[in-house]
Amino acid sequence: MDNKNSCRASLLLARFRGWVQAGAALLTNLHLPNFFRGRLYQGAGKAVCVPGLNCYSCPAASGACPIGAFQAVVGSSKFRFSYYITGTLILLGVLLGRFICGFLCPFGWFQELLHKLPTKKLSTRKLRPLTYLKYAVLLVMVVLLPALTVNEVGMGDPFFCKYLCPQGVLEGAIPLSLTNAGIRAALGTLFTRKLSILLTVAVLSVVFYRPFCKWLCPLGAFYALLNKVSLFQMQVDPNKCISCGKCAKACQMDVDITKTPNHTECIRCGMCVRACPTHAVAFRYGFGNGRQNTTETTMED
Amino acid sequence: MNMKKFAALLLAALMVLTLAACGAASSSAAGAASGAAVTDDPQTTEEAAALYAKLMDQENALLSENTDLWDKVYLQANKGMAMVEDGKNYGDFLLDTIEAAKSEFSAEELEVLTKAAGEIRDIENQLTALEEKFPDCQQAYMNGGASVSPEEGSLQKFPAFEGKDLDGNTVNSDDLFSANAVTVVNFWFTACKPCVGELSDLDALNRELAEKGGALIGINTTTLNGDEASIAEAKEVLAKKGASYQNVYFDASGAAGAFIQNIFAYPTTYVVDRSGNIVGDPIMGAITEKNQAEALQKLIDQALAADAG
Repeated sequence: MDNKNSCRASLLLARFRGWVQAGAALLTNLHLPNFFRGRLYQGAGKAVCVPGLNCYSCPAASGACPIGAFQAVVGSSKFRFSYYITGTLILLGVLLGRFICGFLCPFGWFQELLHKLPTKKLSTRKLRPLTYLKYAVLLVMVVLLPALTVNEVGMGDPFFCKYLCPQGVLEGAIPLSLTNAGIRAALGTLFTRKLSILLTVAVLSVVFYRPFCKWLCPLGAFYALLNKVSLFQMQVDPNKCISCGKCAKACQMDVDITKTPNHTECIRCGMCVRACPTHAVAFRYGFGNGRQNTTETTMED
Repeated sequence: MNMKKFAALLLAALMVLTLAACGAASSSAAGAASGAAVTDDPQTTEEAAALYAKLMDQENALLSENTDLWDKVYLQANKGMAMVEDGKNYGDFLLDTIEAAKSEFSAEELEVLTKAAGEIRDIENQLTALEEKFPDCQQAYMNGGASVSPEEGSLQKFPAFEGKDLDGNTVNSDDLFSANAVTVVNFWFTACKPCVGELSDLDALNRELAEKGGALIGINTTTLNGDEASIAEAKEVLAKKGASYQNVYFDASGAAGAFIQNIFAYPTTYVVDRSGNIVGDPIMGAITEKNQAEALQKLIDQALAADAG
């Protein structure tokens, strides 16, 4: 394997990203007939976390949402912390990092599809400070509030799921209430509030690229923290790079890959790989950092 | 270029969804078709459910033919002369009860009852065979009941169970339901915050119901099969919330256990009448919400009115 192969593989992966996203969304939500039955799949698969943000209460969901599961455990009266889920997240983060956001997350795909609607697009470059908001969401809504604000029996609320998560409305509340009269009867002001959050995110997604991923997603925040040590990285071959700046211009997550190949905001979508006229940018998998000389590294390392 | 890809992706997603829709539609169509012409040798769960529904209708028709006679039989059964043992044929149980109480009936009545009970026994045997062959058919019958059997008149029974309360006293669903004008059954589990949140409200409701000849019971799904640690936890939470009404557990493998498999919203509250039929649709979500409490009260009043009338 030489560098050329690595380049070709990177290009292929970047080009077929949409199909990978579709496949991942389907695999995460395998039990499609449940949409019409208005029921949830409750089998053994639900004991396992899926990599992306995908609601447990989606009728078709084949696994549990890591963020939802984490809050459920932390908020229960029996436990203060969930080692199993944190371990799973760290493993996924180290193995793939925000590649999960770019390729595997169904809600990321949903936002991207909306962004393809032909309208005027706005840059998020000036809104960079907002990207730190998601770490606050992770720390406060996912970890601290569920663990600390408890009732007399020691139970907390899953704050992120309950008050913020638009994916829960999209995949859980909407399809369930459409087919299940009992659930429909239970909808109240909380649903209305969360539906408006979903609609806001949807509208923003049309004009901005992945606003929820950039600013709010606690799962993205977790993987972002592990992006720097992830085995899945970007590399820029300094010998090929002509400093044309096309990669930075192509990047919708506002990253300059030549300066910071392992930026927390990089979701490994490969738009820079496709934009590079000299094929200097590629994905790499393995140890070491992306800035080193590239002659020995390949995709399959 | 992107638009083209987007269109392709949308098309793919649409196709996948249509496939799923086709699957669901055709299977329900099959269910409806088999509902029209019930085969005696079902091949699919839908057909089995249709046959199940037909048999249940026959059984209900037998039981509703001589209601006053049967009521007399039930009365004898309630005195504890012959209990339904786990898995015992309901027809056999009726025959035993009739046999044990034959002094109460005239020869003519006895003949009618024994003949009907014999037929019920045969129907029950067929139902059991069906359930063995198609473990899901009872559930399918209950879920798809509306599309398979006529909407009107086909009452859904709350699945029978035989279990214990958290203090270890034996609880039998038939006895429990027949002793109360209305029984409110609340499904919950200990780690469910909204479930725990409504426990004190439920306790108040139980006291209110007691005055009207009704009762409220809780079924904590984590205590099924009598898991000791879960029972201790549930008792602790109930005590903390000041809930003193009866909480029941039973074997998860039975019909009621299978019933719980299809509850995915917690808490869920059912209203059951004296004959063990479910009244209306279950209330999903806590009754601490005003409109949910009102919906529940409506069902309770409905059951009480039916029992009085």
